[in-house]
Amino acid sequence: MVVIESAGITDVGKKRTGNEDALYLDDDLKLYLVADGMGGHLAGEVASGLVVNTIRDYMKRFQKEGNVEEMDDPDETLSKEANRLLSSINLANKGVHEVAQSNENYRGMGATISAAFFTDDTLIVANVGDSPVYLVHDGGIELLSVTHNVISEQMAINPEAAKKLDHRFRHMLTRAMGIEETVQADVCEIQYFDGDVLTISSDGLSDKVSPEEILDVVKRERPEKACQTLVNLANERGGDDNITVIVLKIRTEDEKGGIMGLISRIMSPFKKIFN
Amino acid sequence: MPTLTLSFKDNTIAKYRIEKGQSLTIGRKESNDIPIENLAVSGHHAKIDSVGDGFLLTDLQSKNGSFVNKALVSSHWLKEGDNILIGKHTLIFSYDEGEERPPEGVGEMEQTMIMDTDKYRDMLAQAMPKAAAAPEAKEAVGVLSYLAGGEGEIKLTKKLTKIGKSPASDIVVGGLMMGATAATISKRPQGYSLSYVGGMTKPKVNGETVKESVNLKEFDVIEIGSLKLQFVSEKQ
Repeated sequence: MVVIESAGITDVGKKRTGNEDALYLDDDLKLYLVADGMGGHLAGEVASGLVVNTIRDYMKRFQKEGNVEEMDDPDETLSKEANRLLSSINLANKGVHEVAQSNENYRGMGATISAAFFTDDTLIVANVGDSPVYLVHDGGIELLSVTHNVISEQMAINPEAAKKLDHRFRHMLTRAMGIEETVQADVCEIQYFDGDVLTISSDGLSDKVSPEEILDVVKRERPEKACQTLVNLANERGGDDNITVIVLKIRTEDEKGGIMGLISRIMSPFKKIFN
Repeated sequence: MPTLTLSFKDNTIAKYRIEKGQSLTIGRKESNDIPIENLAVSGHHAKIDSVGDGFLLTDLQSKNGSFVNKALVSSHWLKEGDNILIGKHTLIFSYDEGEERPPEGVGEMEQTMIMDTDKYRDMLAQAMPKAAAAPEAKEAVGVLSYLAGGEGEIKLTKKLTKIGKSPASDIVVGGLMMGATAATISKRPQGYSLSYVGGMTKPKVNGETVKESVNLKEFDVIEIGSLKLQFVSEKQ
């Protein structure tokens, strides 16, 4: 059984007047979301809010009603749960796209999404855009999301040429929610371990704070304090954008070492019989 | 809509208008929207794209470069009054009086924006001809070859491949002490990793017992119970 100690905050930063980020934490459902909206006037907030709420509602429905429906066209390379998360993202994309198309004020709005969803034995991470998801495991930090921007995409093809691109290309997304009718999220599904820490943030944090610094803070501090420390750090360094961060500390309860663990594991099939 | 005023040695030659959603190309060849007949100018020298609320100048890897306000640029968000030097000609970028301008410092404030995909490919094709001409980066797919306990090979196309006693596993392996799911192999952005999941039989990689997870490297040998597999990654 996995228990997650979670915390998340969003901050407007030092330069912007509105907050276009949205976040959602649900320890029951074990679903965690960060969306970074973009588009003039209030459209960015509308887009990120819509993305987060759609995914939340879709995933909740599955929790309540069980496996009521399976997808028409599941991705064979993914588990059932990962497919479920993927369809919630597809649905959210469609929703934002429709609103953007039907309302002049919202035309061209979009958002990123980064989602983490825990099943009984795996962690599923899915993302569209450039909001990073980091896993801290065994003293190291690893990016689990795929950064959908011009620089990252070009770096994968031709690092030399990509280095010559103006640094402002960095903020140009190649994929986002709501821009086209369909969207392809990147998904990864992994095993998690006791003591692992996951962070999901908007680029308002990752532009100002390095992965090594994030690692350092989450190793030292509990999730709630770590969130505040990270946001403060980004604000001290200019706070150019909205800053959102979720920190999740993973505890697996059945961690038993040594001989007792061995006995309980051998006995566990019998326990079921006796009960 | 903004105007670009082309001049040579203080003599205005022509004025060009650029609208939102439009692109203008600049170069020596006649086919350009802004042709400049001068040997210092490359055939396709630079272009200006409408991106979001702003306008972006991109040098198309021209021989003599593009300069904005005397600084060499590869790409630059245009602001009112910018002086673009192409060869010996200048282009002045200016908005109409009272025209709505992009919010202060578009680009400079590093505002996140979404590229129109086609336009972006186009723009990159010209900014980085080699890169865009090259096919998209091919993803390497991991393959496990049986050394013992089976024959042939297994392509790791799934994001999560399960190995264990359960018939639902992708790779089924028997044994009294084998977990229903003994181990999994995940495809992560940085590569493949193998994790121990449950059961008495722990997986080994190159003879070392895996307690949690390890990243898989080329030619690593994985052992789980009677199963022995070698990992390689193939460029598709």
